[in-house]
Amino acid sequence: MEIVFDKITKNYGPISVFKDLSFKIEPGDFVFITGPSGSGKSTLIKLILNQIKPSSGDVLVDGKALNHLKKRNEIDNIRRKIGVIFQDFQMITDLTVEENIALNLDIVNYPQAKVLPRINEVVKMVKLQHRHFLFPNQLSGGELQRACLARALSIEPEVILADEPTGNLDPANAWNLIKLLQEINQNLKTTIIMTTHNMDFVESLDKKVIKLGKSEHENS
Amino acid sequence: MKILKLTLHHIRRSPFQSLIAFFTVACSFFILNSFIFTNRGLSTVLQYFETKPEITIFLKDGLDQDTVQSVQKELSAYPGIKEIRFISKEKALELYKEMNKDNPLLTEMVTAAILPASFEVSTFNPKILEVIAQNYSGKTQIVDEIVYQKDIIKSLLDWTQIVRRAGISLIIVSSLVAFTMIFALIGMKITNRKEEIKISRLLGASKFYVKKPFILEGVIYGFLGSLIGFLLSFLIIYNLRQSINSFFQPIVFVQNLSLYELFLLLIEISTGVLIGFSASWLGAKRYIKW
Repeated sequence: MEIVFDKITKNYGPISVFKDLSFKIEPGDFVFITGPSGSGKSTLIKLILNQIKPSSGDVLVDGKALNHLKKRNEIDNIRRKIGVIFQDFQMITDLTVEENIALNLDIVNYPQAKVLPRINEVVKMVKLQHRHFLFPNQLSGGELQRACLARALSIEPEVILADEPTGNLDPANAWNLIKLLQEINQNLKTTIIMTTHNMDFVESLDKKVIKLGKSEHENS
Repeated sequence: MKILKLTLHHIRRSPFQSLIAFFTVACSFFILNSFIFTNRGLSTVLQYFETKPEITIFLKDGLDQDTVQSVQKELSAYPGIKEIRFISKEKALELYKEMNKDNPLLTEMVTAAILPASFEVSTFNPKILEVIAQNYSGKTQIVDEIVYQKDIIKSLLDWTQIVRRAGISLIIVSSLVAFTMIFALIGMKITNRKEEIKISRLLGASKFYVKKPFILEGVIYGFLGSLIGFLLSFLIIYNLRQSINSFFQPIVFVQNLSLYELFLLLIEISTGVLIGFSASWLGAKRYIKW
């Protein structure tokens, strides 16, 4: 899945988050989006998900401008190819982790017979195999983050959008998560777009970086 | 996660709200079904009187035997006469006592002298009754009063109409209450589950996908409510069947079981499902905007 930001400007009232932001993410890329708090990292994720609209410019996914999608279900189809790890988890609180994952699999029309094996596979992958029957409020922050990752991975997405996925993890678990994302990127060729303000990860890994500033941006 | 599983999960998460919706629908269908059975019984009563053409001519007191016999002769001369029965004052008293045997107060003071003698005339053709009624209504020196089935039928028809109108109004009101209740409840549930809907939409669920569990929930209330409402009223009516029928004797007010009841059940369930579907569909359309 190719993602292009073409001269995107996003204003929240009088506050301008970005101005004429342009970049291109190729299929299979691993991209870090960095910047201080309030620089628009989460806004960028929301723009890709078409959760919010840009003030000007176009976000193009596989050549389609999200602003000008003709059919109503086109954005649903795009979202079904994206696994998201939300900063605030966005888990349904009265469904267990397993049910949350099953719901996502149902949304993407995952073959019914493969749902349970897939859930077992991903919870094992994120080391939550003994906690997946619990409700989100019964998990710690780190476990919740991993549950989110399991849900995102389950649908075998073309792109994983990870919004500060290491924010609630201790350093060891944070590095484990980064390694896991790297493996997924290398083995499955899944595009990874990860926002972070932890420069250790960015500096340790030789990956594409989009730096956002308070009122300016630069691509590298 | 299957849609039905998610719907049942929604119902379980707010059991009291769900119970209220279910109870309202069940009440509506209880009223509807009870009305249908009453209406059917009333139609049988009407039919009974309509197919039993009869006129009663009450005679004035003090008529001699010859006059009474000449009236009987005159009546026999009409075409299509089925039966003419003379009820003397003594026979009238006998009948009166039989009718009120359980209430001695009503029989104590009554004697044969105060009851009128009468002729009960039944015909094969109801039109003849009209001719007899017209001819004898003018003979005031020998006829005290004419009670004609037409009057009874008219009065019954008037009552049936009133019952039907009241029943239909009650059904409309209770159906509207059930509809509004499901609509409001689905709206409340959608508001309560706003976050879940938003998350599902971000994960790629279509608008229809997120609406489905709520629509199915309304359908379940409609289905179960109509089924339970029907069964409740059906069981009550058929348990009281003997008492009701003995009260209306010789008319069979509550009919024997037949395919009609099954047909009625299917129609009522379909109506319940339709009410549940339309109310929840409208609720989902109104409240799921994002």
